Amino acid sequence: MSRKFPLLLIDVMGIALFGIVVYFISFSESYQGWISLPSSLYDMNTIFLSILIEATPFVLIGVLIAGMIQIFITEEHLKRWIPKNKFMAVTMSCVVGACFPACECGIVPIVRRLIAKGVPIYAGIGFLLTGPLINPIVIVSTYMAFGNDLKIAASRMVIGFVIAITVALIISFLYRTNQFNQSSITSSTVSNHQPSATSFVEKIGSMLRHSVDEFFDMGKYLVMGALLAAFVQTYVSSGALVQLGSGLASSTLVMMGLAYLLSLCSEADAFIAASFRNVFPTTAILGFLIYGPMIDLKNTMMMLSVFKAKFVLVFVGLVTAVVFCTLILSQGIY
Amino acid sequence: MRFYFQQAFRAIVLLMFAVFIIKLHYTGDIHKLINPKYDTISQIGAILFLVLFIAQLPRIWTPVQKSNNHLHVHDHTHDGADHNHDHGYSPINLKKLVSYCVLILPLVTGFMMPPSTLDSSIADKKGTMVSLTNSAKRNQLDRSKASAEPEVERPNQSERSVGDNQEKGALDSSPNINNKGQPSDNPQDPNLYSNTVTQDTYQQIIDQLKEVDTIEMTDQVYATYYEAINMDLAKFEGKEISINGFVYKEDGFAKNQLVVGRYLITHCVADASIIGFLSEFNGGVESISEDTWLEVTGTIHIKEYNGVELPTISVTESKEIEEPEQPYLYPLNIKIR
Repeated sequence: MSRKFPLLLIDVMGIALFGIVVYFISFSESYQGWISLPSSLYDMNTIFLSILIEATPFVLIGVLIAGMIQIFITEEHLKRWIPKNKFMAVTMSCVVGACFPACECGIVPIVRRLIAKGVPIYAGIGFLLTGPLINPIVIVSTYMAFGNDLKIAASRMVIGFVIAITVALIISFLYRTNQFNQSSITSSTVSNHQPSATSFVEKIGSMLRHSVDEFFDMGKYLVMGALLAAFVQTYVSSGALVQLGSGLASSTLVMMGLAYLLSLCSEADAFIAASFRNVFPTTAILGFLIYGPMIDLKNTMMMLSVFKAKFVLVFVGLVTAVVFCTLILSQGIY
Repeated sequence: MRFYFQQAFRAIVLLMFAVFIIKLHYTGDIHKLINPKYDTISQIGAILFLVLFIAQLPRIWTPVQKSNNHLHVHDHTHDGADHNHDHGYSPINLKKLVSYCVLILPLVTGFMMPPSTLDSSIADKKGTMVSLTNSAKRNQLDRSKASAEPEVERPNQSERSVGDNQEKGALDSSPNINNKGQPSDNPQDPNLYSNTVTQDTYQQIIDQLKEVDTIEMTDQVYATYYEAINMDLAKFEGKEISINGFVYKEDGFAKNQLVVGRYLITHCVADASIIGFLSEFNGGVESISEDTWLEVTGTIHIKEYNGVELPTISVTESKEIEEPEQPYLYPLNIKIR
């Protein structure tokens, strides 16, 4: 009886919840006509939702992978896999990131889980930077968007890789601890418990429950990031922004700023970048292509859910500076 | 046995997200948000939400346990004592309330506000004329570069390599959804299914462009033809063209000028860019307000706008139309075999 009773309750709860949801939805339909808001608000809402709908599947996959790491990979595994040497660890993390097809929002929960499991922060950062930037989908879409010009796609990957390694190395000299914020600390400190011996099915169950927690930790930041990006797209004129930059340095900065504010997915941004390629020099276009996947508005918000605000600030500043300097230095190539 | 309100709430949120995505697909509103090519991945998203919802259910009722002397009550039996972050058992405080409110914001706005179709006010923010002149300028530069140094890198930018560029340019990395549409038979519909064609059909479309007297800018070929016309303006001067789109005006237009354009969506609405033609009417166009959908026919002329040669339609005929069911365009994809 005591075993069956909870199961029955779960069923009843499920049905009840479903009923509430259905009721709410049918109810909400009738509301739609009542409110009249400025049409720009509707546009903003549409862009907001589209960013979310586009990003959620990837975030969910990221969250599930994070859950998997939590349950199935132990610290001992990771300790064995990651080289002791800093340079080796950074290089390895960047290479692993380059092989791993992720997008900039899906990767944050994965990195958080890895660092909580004892991966050093610099290795996590290397993975975070190359994951969304270098992967087959991004290479192909960049190659296509620039009219089958391999040069841009190749530069994006190579310069991006160099920048990622540089940033991760600098981080390795600046920080030793995991730089987690308060809520992430609680999740990392107790993680060295051995998982109690459980069956595979139970492990899957706890992996899923873990993913739920992860989703609720991350979700709000994703929503805020999407909201901010939608706001920028609706109310800030990018045409005016473009007119700000004319010189090499200023145009590179403008394109990096644009990449940050628009928060496009790294798969789609190449097409947008391509539309700017004759107003701006190649260096500025590369700034857009490399900076965007590494950091943007949406992704910064999500990083705030993991790391201390101060670290995120330093990190954003560091990436900005390194991307900018590398591009200015490497402009001789073009 | 104890009922956990927060766990129940979390379950509802997960379920609502799933239902929201399913509803978008069911009503077709999803295509106001994302390119249909990404339908499958968003359906996977909905399924994942449902899976998480089911995984969440057992937590709503859990046997009461001794708490760990701090805020978190561990659900050892279920979570395997693996870690210790917010499982949603700690009491609700203001911070949590705010974060839950943020999380359900998209659900509230999503259910309450119907998704809108992007209109000219967004086009204004996107700097439409800047991007229209960009694409014309870019292609002109490409061409002059190509003619100046014909052997370097991009051997000839004549219309053959335009076709080349286009076809590889449209190749897609994820050839998931495809529709063996026959564009010559029903050119208006395939847009509803990701705009994917086979290599042969594509070649056919490109060949057609060279032969026809009147260029019909149907949804399917719009983006492709637009690029091709911009690429080799001189070749298309004087040709007749028929096009539909919404009206967009910008400061600095003459009294008889407006843009007839459409939005091109690569991935989601956030990356929409406008493509269209500057159109010149015989009389003033003050009476035509922005966002009116027009179907115009005219001939292509080259007009200078802000120092850039733009393809411009000298309108001979125009009529107001209803906004099409699918107002957005998607880049033409070619199926890879």
